[in-house]
Amino acid sequence: MLSQLFSTVLIVLAGIAAALAVFLVLNKLAEALPGRWEHRVKPYFFVAPAVAAIGVYLIYPTVVTIIDSFRDSNGEGFVGLDNFSKLLATPAFRQTLLNSLLWIAVVPATCIVVGLIVAALADRLSSGAEKAAKTIIFMPMAISAVGAATVWRFMYATQPPGTPQTGLLNGVVTALGHDPIPWLQQTTWHANSLLLMVMLLWGQAGFAMVLLSAAIKGVPTESTEAARMDGAGELRIFWRVIIPQIRGTLITVFVTVLIGVMKIFDVIYVMTDGAFNTNVVGLEFFNQLFTNYNFGYASAIVVMLLVAIVPIMIYQIRQFRAEESA
Amino acid sequence: MFTRKLVLGVSAFSALSLLITGCSSGSDTGDTGDKTVTIWTSMDQPIIDGLEAALAPRAKAEGITVKWSKVDNISQLIVQKVQANDPPDIAFMPQPGIIKDLAAKGKVTALDGILDLPTLRNSMTAGTLDVAQVDGKTYGLMVSMNVKGLVFYPKKAFEAAGYTAPKTLDELDTLTAKIKADGNTPWCLGIESGTATGWPATDWFENLVLKYGGLAQYNAWIAHQVKFDSPLVRQAAAEFEKIAFTDGNVLGGRKAIASNAFGTAGNAMFNSGKPGCYLYQQGSFITGFFPKAIQQSLDAEVGLFGLPPATAGGENAVEGGGDTASIYKNSPAAQKVMKLLAATDLGTTAAGNGSSFLSPHKDFPISGYPLQTTQAVAKVAYGSTGFAFDGSDAMPTAVGSGTFWKEMTAWIAGQQSLDTALKNIDASWPVS
Repeated sequence: MLSQLFSTVLIVLAGIAAALAVFLVLNKLAEALPGRWEHRVKPYFFVAPAVAAIGVYLIYPTVVTIIDSFRDSNGEGFVGLDNFSKLLATPAFRQTLLNSLLWIAVVPATCIVVGLIVAALADRLSSGAEKAAKTIIFMPMAISAVGAATVWRFMYATQPPGTPQTGLLNGVVTALGHDPIPWLQQTTWHANSLLLMVMLLWGQAGFAMVLLSAAIKGVPTESTEAARMDGAGELRIFWRVIIPQIRGTLITVFVTVLIGVMKIFDVIYVMTDGAFNTNVVGLEFFNQLFTNYNFGYASAIVVMLLVAIVPIMIYQIRQFRAEESA
Repeated sequence: MFTRKLVLGVSAFSALSLLITGCSSGSDTGDTGDKTVTIWTSMDQPIIDGLEAALAPRAKAEGITVKWSKVDNISQLIVQKVQANDPPDIAFMPQPGIIKDLAAKGKVTALDGILDLPTLRNSMTAGTLDVAQVDGKTYGLMVSMNVKGLVFYPKKAFEAAGYTAPKTLDELDTLTAKIKADGNTPWCLGIESGTATGWPATDWFENLVLKYGGLAQYNAWIAHQVKFDSPLVRQAAAEFEKIAFTDGNVLGGRKAIASNAFGTAGNAMFNSGKPGCYLYQQGSFITGFFPKAIQQSLDAEVGLFGLPPATAGGENAVEGGGDTASIYKNSPAAQKVMKLLAATDLGTTAAGNGSSFLSPHKDFPISGYPLQTTQAVAKVAYGSTGFAFDGSDAMPTAVGSGTFWKEMTAWIAGQQSLDTALKNIDASWPVS
């Protein structure tokens, strides 16, 4: 343990030193050039390592993944669009896509609503109570998703009737005299997927709340005072005065949660591993790659995800720019 | 001055790179005078302790020092180390498939000239010497084994009710019906295991395929020469269906199976008062999951029998696993250690020290196991007609750790027909 700690510290220090050394050397190189050129070249020298890192760790893998999505399961020989057509032809994968869509439709919107309600209501509490309420709601953010999901399994855990229930929900259900319900097996209306979403909402609501709360507090009191003077009710003020002024933050939170949900993996991996029709795209990718060693399918899934996410990211960046210039 | 700086720099750099890669270069036994033999294993520490204590003095007598290392992820690591030409002298592998792969590439030393195989064959449990054979040559020696397909029962209640161990699968059905007729629940059944949910169901299937089809058919099945969608597998499925899906057969009914954790599913057998269920099929390791109080008086509380054969006195192979030793770096010293590992009485210390060790030698004295429970497991193993390695471990991972688990779970949870499940598993078998 101590030696691991020691080597970790050493690696961090060595990494920082190496990065510094690279910039020092580049700086020296630029300075070695004649006067005018030094100033012309220097910015590029300083930007180059970051660009190179993104190229090596982001762009290159993306290109390779796209190429691999047209190759067979071993990453050899081109098979055209086979991976895509075969995947889309399997009923299981179509269900996986449907589940992912369900997550996208439910989680970001609910997250905003919950975050907004809490932020707006907490704003009206005394400062001590506001702090306490916010701390409690924010706390789950501090737990890793895998840890939180492991704990949440105990919410839904089910033992056979007649044996002591370790799950909280079934503890309540059996105490009321009913048979325990295998929660995570309830596939009607994708109820089990909804139960998994509850866990993510529990984890993410704090994030939405903090940002939205800050935005609400940033709304100038003059505007709300003026509305109040004009005789607007509190709800009307909220909808007509506050919401328009925090629109930017709302979109940012929505898109961030949306992208997070599209990539969702850990919660489902830990709670069901996709069994009982709870599979989603992020998890299917993992299982294709690390259980089935099917590089073709795994790459094809990632490419589909990429195609879906890129427009959203472009929208967010545009939105961000529009805000900046406003 | 300059050279000193350079040397310093280089050694600092190499020390750093060693730290960063986080690996030591291992013990180099290349020197001819050096008689150290390294053994890698992932077995439980108490088993290693027992074997190490027995081996050390015998190796010393030959002038050899044996260095044991407990390695996690041994399967991946051994492949990497062999590729890097830096393997240990001997390693114990839990998956014989990897030994066979490496042997086919010429990276493992055949034991044919080294061990007295004909004599060993008489000493060892049928089939255990054949788990790592390639082209008629033997590449692995099983040193420690475990057995699956055991049916555990709460001894006191079971015997008080006058139940007896069945001799055929039909008798198992009769016993099930009898327990139910007495107003009790016959079976405990749980296949929940986190991300590995479903494997206990595949164990059920493997055992039933083995009992109905025999070892040869079983091996053809795990190589996909016999399909999942085949009469044999359907016969196994029908028996499982009869046991697990019949109303009143399983504690909590069919719906409870998929969400019942395998580790605690058997604990209902030890409910105070009346057992919640009377039979629980699992591997020999499951006793470690029983309640503490039961573990402390295991012999008084727990009885077991092996899943019976299809016909009385017919072929009755058992399914199990084991750690199989092979030579990855050949040397006279490694060969000598291998010979010492083949001795039946090498396991005496490990068997006696309270570990879960089970010797694959059928001439190992049963009395060498302090617990009656372990003795009963040993009797099941030593009395078998053959040894089948865990099938889902031997199948491609896309099936063995993928669709086989998932489709069985979906079928048992009632979300998929058996027909679809079997066809889906067949379809998922990678084309190579």
